[in-house]
Amino acid sequence: MEKKINKLVEEALQELGKASKLNDLMVLKAKYLGKKSQFNDFMRELKDLPNNEKPKVGKLVNIGKNKINHKIEEMKEKIEADKINQKLKEETIDVTLPGKKIAQGKKHIFTQTIEEIEDIFVGLGYEIKEGPEIEEDKYNFEMLNLPKDHPARDMQDSLYISEEILLRTHTSPVQVRSLLENADKKPVKIISPGRVYRKDDDDQTHSHQFGQVEALVVDKKTSLSDLKGTLLLAAQKLFGEERQIRLRPSYFPFTEPSVEVDVSCYKCNGTGCSMCKNTGWIEILGAGMVNNNVLKACGYDPNEFQGFAIGFGVERIAMLRHGIDDIRLLYTNDLRFNSQF
Amino acid sequence: MKISLNWLNDYLTEEINYKNLVEKFNLMSQEVEGLYPLVDASKLIIGYVEKCENHENADKLKVCQVNVGDKTLQIICGAPNVDKGQKVIVALPGAVLPGNFKIKKAKIRDVISNGMICSLAELGVADFEKKETGIYVLDDNAEVGKDPLKYMGLDDQVLELDLTANRPDLLSMRGIAYDVKAMLDVEIKFNKPQVKRVKPEHEINIFTQTKDASVYYGQLIKDIKIKPSPYWLRSRLLASGIRPVNNVVDITNYVMLEYSQPLHAFDFKKLNSKKIIVRKANKNETIITLDEVKRKLLETDIVITDGEKPIAIAGVMGGFETEVDENTDSILLESAIFDPISVRKTSKRLALKSESSSRFEKGINHELTKEALDRACELLVEFADAKNCGGPSFFNNARKTNQQFELSFSKLKEVTGYDFEKNVVKEILDRLDFEYKLKDDIFVVNVPARRLGFESYQDIVEEIVRINGYDKIDLTLPITPTQGKLTKKQQFKRYLRTFFTGLGFYETNTYSLTDKTNATKYDLEKLSLVKIMNPITTDREYLRHSLIPALTDVLVYNKSRKINDILLFEIGRRYTFEEEVELISGLLHGRYNYSLWQKEYNNVDFYLAKGVIESLLRDLKLLDYDFRAPKQKLPNMHPGIVSEIFIGEEKIGWLGKIHPEVEKQLEVKDTYVFELELDKIFTPYQKINVNYQDIVKYPSVNRDIALVVDKDILAQDLIKTVKEISNNSLKTVDIFDVYQGDKLEENKKSIALSLIFENKEKTLETEEIDTMVNRIVNALTEKHKAKLRR
Repeated sequence: MEKKINKLVEEALQELGKASKLNDLMVLKAKYLGKKSQFNDFMRELKDLPNNEKPKVGKLVNIGKNKINHKIEEMKEKIEADKINQKLKEETIDVTLPGKKIAQGKKHIFTQTIEEIEDIFVGLGYEIKEGPEIEEDKYNFEMLNLPKDHPARDMQDSLYISEEILLRTHTSPVQVRSLLENADKKPVKIISPGRVYRKDDDDQTHSHQFGQVEALVVDKKTSLSDLKGTLLLAAQKLFGEERQIRLRPSYFPFTEPSVEVDVSCYKCNGTGCSMCKNTGWIEILGAGMVNNNVLKACGYDPNEFQGFAIGFGVERIAMLRHGIDDIRLLYTNDLRFNSQF
Repeated sequence: MKISLNWLNDYLTEEINYKNLVEKFNLMSQEVEGLYPLVDASKLIIGYVEKCENHENADKLKVCQVNVGDKTLQIICGAPNVDKGQKVIVALPGAVLPGNFKIKKAKIRDVISNGMICSLAELGVADFEKKETGIYVLDDNAEVGKDPLKYMGLDDQVLELDLTANRPDLLSMRGIAYDVKAMLDVEIKFNKPQVKRVKPEHEINIFTQTKDASVYYGQLIKDIKIKPSPYWLRSRLLASGIRPVNNVVDITNYVMLEYSQPLHAFDFKKLNSKKIIVRKANKNETIITLDEVKRKLLETDIVITDGEKPIAIAGVMGGFETEVDENTDSILLESAIFDPISVRKTSKRLALKSESSSRFEKGINHELTKEALDRACELLVEFADAKNCGGPSFFNNARKTNQQFELSFSKLKEVTGYDFEKNVVKEILDRLDFEYKLKDDIFVVNVPARRLGFESYQDIVEEIVRINGYDKIDLTLPITPTQGKLTKKQQFKRYLRTFFTGLGFYETNTYSLTDKTNATKYDLEKLSLVKIMNPITTDREYLRHSLIPALTDVLVYNKSRKINDILLFEIGRRYTFEEEVELISGLLHGRYNYSLWQKEYNNVDFYLAKGVIESLLRDLKLLDYDFRAPKQKLPNMHPGIVSEIFIGEEKIGWLGKIHPEVEKQLEVKDTYVFELELDKIFTPYQKINVNYQDIVKYPSVNRDIALVVDKDILAQDLIKTVKEISNNSLKTVDIFDVYQGDKLEENKKSIALSLIFENKEKTLETEEIDTMVNRIVNALTEKHKAKLRR
């Protein structure tokens, strides 16, 4: 009896181990544990056994049934897992096939550069002022200490619409307008970004249309050292924290003194290379202390107020930072260019 | 400005380091464009041609024996003018000539040649002589074995400065010397010209009839001999960028460079009178100028006349009739000052900008007008054999320049933010040769006449700061307490850029100026067109009314470079006389979010363009939008695939497909564009105030209905009717299918609507929904003759 049971359990376990479908398991379960199974026969035979043998064999039968049940559960899990694995296997794709072409755009480097400069100055407490591109000679030149027939007007060859109206040659008229509209003569701290126009033929380094961002601070104590500190900060934000600046004398009619600002070469760190023509320095912008004539024209008393102005050329900053060698690329809109930034 | 450093050294009492000079100019004065040798050549020597014989194997070559001092070299020379007895410039083997031309010992047709006899052109100074026929032959005084460059004065260095308009003083060598003195703190010296004057034979009378000529000295100089200038003078002119001509012309140029006082020489014999009258030109008056061009004069031009007709345009160009030539033996030399603005206007109009006119424009120091003339006389006596220099006739109405400025010490510190010491300021003013008095705390500074154009104490501040050094200025930040911010509109523009780039649009950056056709190409209304008076080209003559032509140009450019899927946008302006209106414009072409191997091609179409704009307006909570077929035809747009966009009753822009004819011209297909007025979106957007709406707790119910309607019924009208007839339980209505075809009658289409119902307070009962759906269907039937499709 004992032998028979053990043999049967072994046989059942073996057969169950070969099952590959849930259905097979059900059939085997019926075969070994069902009403017509041999185990059932054993159970019936059990009652015919002598009383002293009954518990021993009964235990043996139960153990055997448990083993089989256990195996059935085990096989069920295995078969289900195999099924899922099989399904997953079937679903496996070639992940190396290309993804869908999701359209992807870019802000123009011109805009990116303006926004970056804006953000630097907004962080320093500057307001952003804008103005018309079709401008009066008065605001574009005369109130900026550039009377008619001033030789320095040659520095900015202009596109005129009438004798008195032109396309602004810089964003400085926005500064004039801002000072004028500030009737109670409060301190002014603004930047004015925008498009400006000059009567220049377009070539590698010239564009009849370009962008400027000008900064203006007018207050009672705004000094040349404030200008220099602001310039260093802006230069470091735009060209790297290790940069140094140097100021050289220059001339703009609306500032006095006027300076050109150089930044230490970010390619060679000031040791001299082709980028900086072996000088260690790269000219980035012009600036200066606001000319008293401009303050006067805008109703500010130069005895009380003083200030500084800075003029960024948007394209120049972008070209220097990204190594772009032709300004026309910023207006061609070759998407192979626009997509790079 | 090109500066001969040999010349500069004439004024200096000690040797200076050129590298330091360059650095000082850059940091304290003017940007240095370059420092380079006038003649970039080495190993040149003066040789004497002892023998000159024909080359045995070459017709045009000569074999010369050239004595170079310590030896005699055999040199082959091909110049036609080479001959024995000449003193010549020899480039020895190992010499390097301009253009990195290396001279080597060589065999030329079997004969050894130990160097080269040079022409001026080979030294890069062809202009040294008026005409050159071959090798250059030096004069008899040249010393064999010595450096020819030194002998000719060509051993010079040129310092080139990029002058700013506020420093006309640096247009003269003397002015340069003054600045060098201030920068390097060295001494300078000038010699007063020495002129022996005799009583003039011919008295010239000089008058003016215009205030625009303040000073005029006219000097009659007789018995001159026109010939080439001495070597040193020619070299200095060359170094300064001026071509030598003859002694008289060269001397006037030399003095101009020395004093920044332009001079003009008239051939005295060609003058018809002994009278000079300066006046404004008469109406219709003309003059033939030195360049043999007949010039029409305006009444604003200043002219020099012989009492009757013009003989020169003052400050701009002399007359052809009184030009100095080889036969001139007496001249009337003019040293004068004319009104800067008048000269500027005349030279600009006639496009005659010269070294003289630009100096007049920037202002002349009247204190040196006479001295410059004296200097010219001195040189003419020495180098043109002039024998008879009479006293000059003149008028001089120049007012003494008063350039006195008060600069308080405290203001200086306040403006610069630098803690100057009084002694430092005094030393700098001394170095600048500015006279000053210190009254209490105030520097009273008298700026000399040679430094014209000072306007206020600010100019004095600049002088002090630049000589003291900008590097010494501290680094601080303004203390002005202000709040930095972008305006709402600037933030809005940034939002728009982020929105469009996020959807895959590339931002473009295009020109505002265009030609007439493109400026108005998409105009519906006849807006005023802004024209440039002095355009660069006709392509850039008008300010645009639309950005679309620029966007289609960008499309065409990229298409021709094999980029086919193109989404573009730009924020730019439309310009009229009345206003500048900001536009947001876009273009769609090609495929969008596609996958070729999955057979998803997704070509852009009208509904993609519309979807983009709807998505924008929805994102901005501007739900009151509406797309309407235009009442008037939009120019250059497909008449059937175009829509105007409204928010409420305000038209904000349009979108559509470009007209097939235009597409044909551009050689592109299926291009969709839109253009919106930024302010018309921004203004209503400003009024939007978002209040939180409770999220509905009860389930929503979806019902779909399919309707058959006439083909020309607009989807929008059906939706409008649905919305009108429904109560607020209708949450959304959407169209999910449109069908036209065999299964329907001709001229009919089927439109399927998806209705979603929802109630805030309760779960909607089936009967309630049925009632609502029935009401909707009835309304659609009544209004649009719609039939429910079963």
